[in-house]
Amino acid sequence: MATLVQVENLRKEFGNVRALDGVSFRVDAGAWIAIMGPSGSGKTTLINILGGLDTPTTGQAIVDGTDVGRLDEAGLTRFRAEKIGFIFQQFHLVPYLTALENVMLAQYFHSTTDENEARQSLERVGLGDRIEHLPSQLSGGEQQRVAVARALINHPKLILADEPTGNLDEANEEIVLSLLRELHAEGHTILMVTHAATIGRLADRRIEFAHGHLVQAAAASLKPELA
Amino acid sequence: MFWRLVFQLLRGSRGRLAVAIIAIVSGAAVISALLNLDLGVQNKLTQEFRSLGANIVISPVSGAPAQISGAEVPSLMPEKDVVGVLQQLPSAQLAAAAPYLYIVARAQNIPVVVAGTWLDQSQKLDATWKVEGNWIASRDDNSRCLVGRNVARRLHLAVGNALELHYLDRSAHYSVAGIVDAGGTDDNQIFANLRAVQALANLPEQIGLAQVSVAGTAQVVADYAARLAAALPQYQVRPIRQVAEAEGALLGRIRLLIVSMVLLILILTALCVLGTMAALAMERRKDVGLMKSLGGSISRIVGIFLAEVGVLGAAGGLLGTILGAALSYWMGLRVFDTAIAPRWEVFPATIALMIVVTLTGALPLRMLGNVKPAEILRGE
Repeated sequence: MATLVQVENLRKEFGNVRALDGVSFRVDAGAWIAIMGPSGSGKTTLINILGGLDTPTTGQAIVDGTDVGRLDEAGLTRFRAEKIGFIFQQFHLVPYLTALENVMLAQYFHSTTDENEARQSLERVGLGDRIEHLPSQLSGGEQQRVAVARALINHPKLILADEPTGNLDEANEEIVLSLLRELHAEGHTILMVTHAATIGRLADRRIEFAHGHLVQAAAASLKPELA
Repeated sequence: MFWRLVFQLLRGSRGRLAVAIIAIVSGAAVISALLNLDLGVQNKLTQEFRSLGANIVISPVSGAPAQISGAEVPSLMPEKDVVGVLQQLPSAQLAAAAPYLYIVARAQNIPVVVAGTWLDQSQKLDATWKVEGNWIASRDDNSRCLVGRNVARRLHLAVGNALELHYLDRSAHYSVAGIVDAGGTDDNQIFANLRAVQALANLPEQIGLAQVSVAGTAQVVADYAARLAAALPQYQVRPIRQVAEAEGALLGRIRLLIVSMVLLILILTALCVLGTMAALAMERRKDVGLMKSLGGSISRIVGIFLAEVGVLGAAGGLLGTILGAALSYWMGLRVFDTAIAPRWEVFPATIALMIVVTLTGALPLRMLGNVKPAEILRGE
C-alpha cells in the first residue's frame, strides 16, 4: 500500500509547552487509525497539524506528498479544501445554514456547488428528510451525520475525526461508527482521535500518545519510527 | 451559493443588524431629504426672491426732470423702445415685465402719486401684495384702479367707490377695484392702467421706467440685464443687486449647512455601523474559524461578509432614500409652501453613499483575517 501520511520527528511547542516531541510514523492509504491517549497528550495537536490547521515547530508532516509545514497561508487553505475532511467532536456546523447548505459550504470553498450531490451525501448518512433543517432543529447525532456528509463531499484524501462520538449517546454513537466503518470499507483513510478503548479497537491500528510522545504503535499500515 | 450565504447571514443576524439598518435608513432618509432640498431649494428660493418684485429696472439716464405742459415730470423714455426690446429677447427667463409712468395727480384736492402700469402684470411683479377686492386682470381696463391702503384710508375709499383724479386741466374717473396692502410705499399710491394715466398726463407712449422680473439665479439675472443694457445703451439698466446678492449669499449658506449636515450624518452612520460590525465580528469568529478549516480563504470569507454589509447599505439606502423623498416633500410644503419633487439623481447618490459608509463601518471585519482556526475550534 502507498504511504499517505508520513510524520518525521514532528515537534510542536506552545511557548514553553511541548505538545509534540519528536513524533514519527507513517500511515498507508486506506487505513483506519485510532489515535489514543490522555488529555493533553498531543492527539488534537497532531490532527490539527496533519489537517493544516496548525504548523509544526520542527519536523515534517507529509500528507499525500505535501509537506504541510512548508505551505504558506494560501497553500494551507487549498490543502484543507482539497485533501482533508474534518469531523469535530462539537460538530461545528454553521448555525444559520441548513443541513444542505452546511454541506454545500464545503463544496463552495473547494470549487463549485452541486446541490444534488450534497443531497445525496446527506441521504447517504440517513438525513434525506432533514436537509432543510437548521442545526438547532437537529439532534446531536444528526448534526454529527451532517458533519460526516460535509467531510466526505469533496472526496478528501484523509478524514480527520477528533472524538467524533464524544458528544453522542450510545445509539447515535453506533450510527456514526457504522458510517466510519463504511467509509473505511470504501477505502477512505481515517485518522480518529478517541479516548474510548472500545472505539479504538474498531480501527485497523492504534497509536497511543503520552506527553507528546508516541508510546505505542502497531500495524502493517502504521509504521512507527519512535524518536 | 455566494448570495445564498449572504442572505442566510443577513437572516441569521437580523437581530444584531437591526441597529445598523435603523442607522442606515435614518441616515439615508435625512441625507436624501437634504440633497433633495439642496437641489430643489434653488428653484424655490428663486421663486421666493422673484415674489419680492422686479430684479431689473430700466430707467432714463439720470438727469433733470422734464417740464411738460407746465408740470414737472421725471425724465421719460418712449414706451416702444423698451417694450420692443423686451419682446425681442428670449421669453423663457422673463417672468414678468411692466412699464411705469408716475405722475402726481389730485384726488379730493389732495395730491396723490398715480402709477400707470400694466396691471395684468402686477400679480406677478408684486406677488406679495394683499388685495382686498379684486385685482385688475386686463391692461385695457381703463375704468378701474387699485388704491394703496394709506390713500384709501385718507380719502375714505372702499372697494366699489368712485374716484376722480385731476391732473392739470384733465380728469379721469375710476371705480376702486381693490385696496392694496403692500406693506411699503406702494400703500401711498394709486395704480391704474398705463394707457389711462398716459392719457391723463397727456404723455402718450411715454414711460418713466420699466421693471423686469427674470427667473433664475443671480448670474442669470445679471446676464439678462447685460443683454438688456446692450440693447438699450441709451438707458440705464440696473439689476437690483441687493436681492441677487442676498439670494446668492443665502444659497451659499444653505448649501454649506446641508453639506456639513450630510458629512456629520455620514460619520455618525459609519460609527453606528462600526459598533455593530465590531460586535458582529466577535460573534463570527467561530464561523470564520470553521470556514477556514473547510478550506475557505480569508478573502472569500470576508467577501461574503462585505457583500452582506453592501446589501445592508443598499437596502437601507434605498428605503431611506424613499423616506427622505417623502420627508423633503413635507419639508418643502412646510418651509417653502410648495412641494419639492424628489430628484432622480438623489437615489443613486444616496444609495452609493450608504454603501460606502457601511463598507467603511465594516472595517472591524478585517480582524477576522487573524482568526486561527485551530484556536477557535479548540474553543479558545
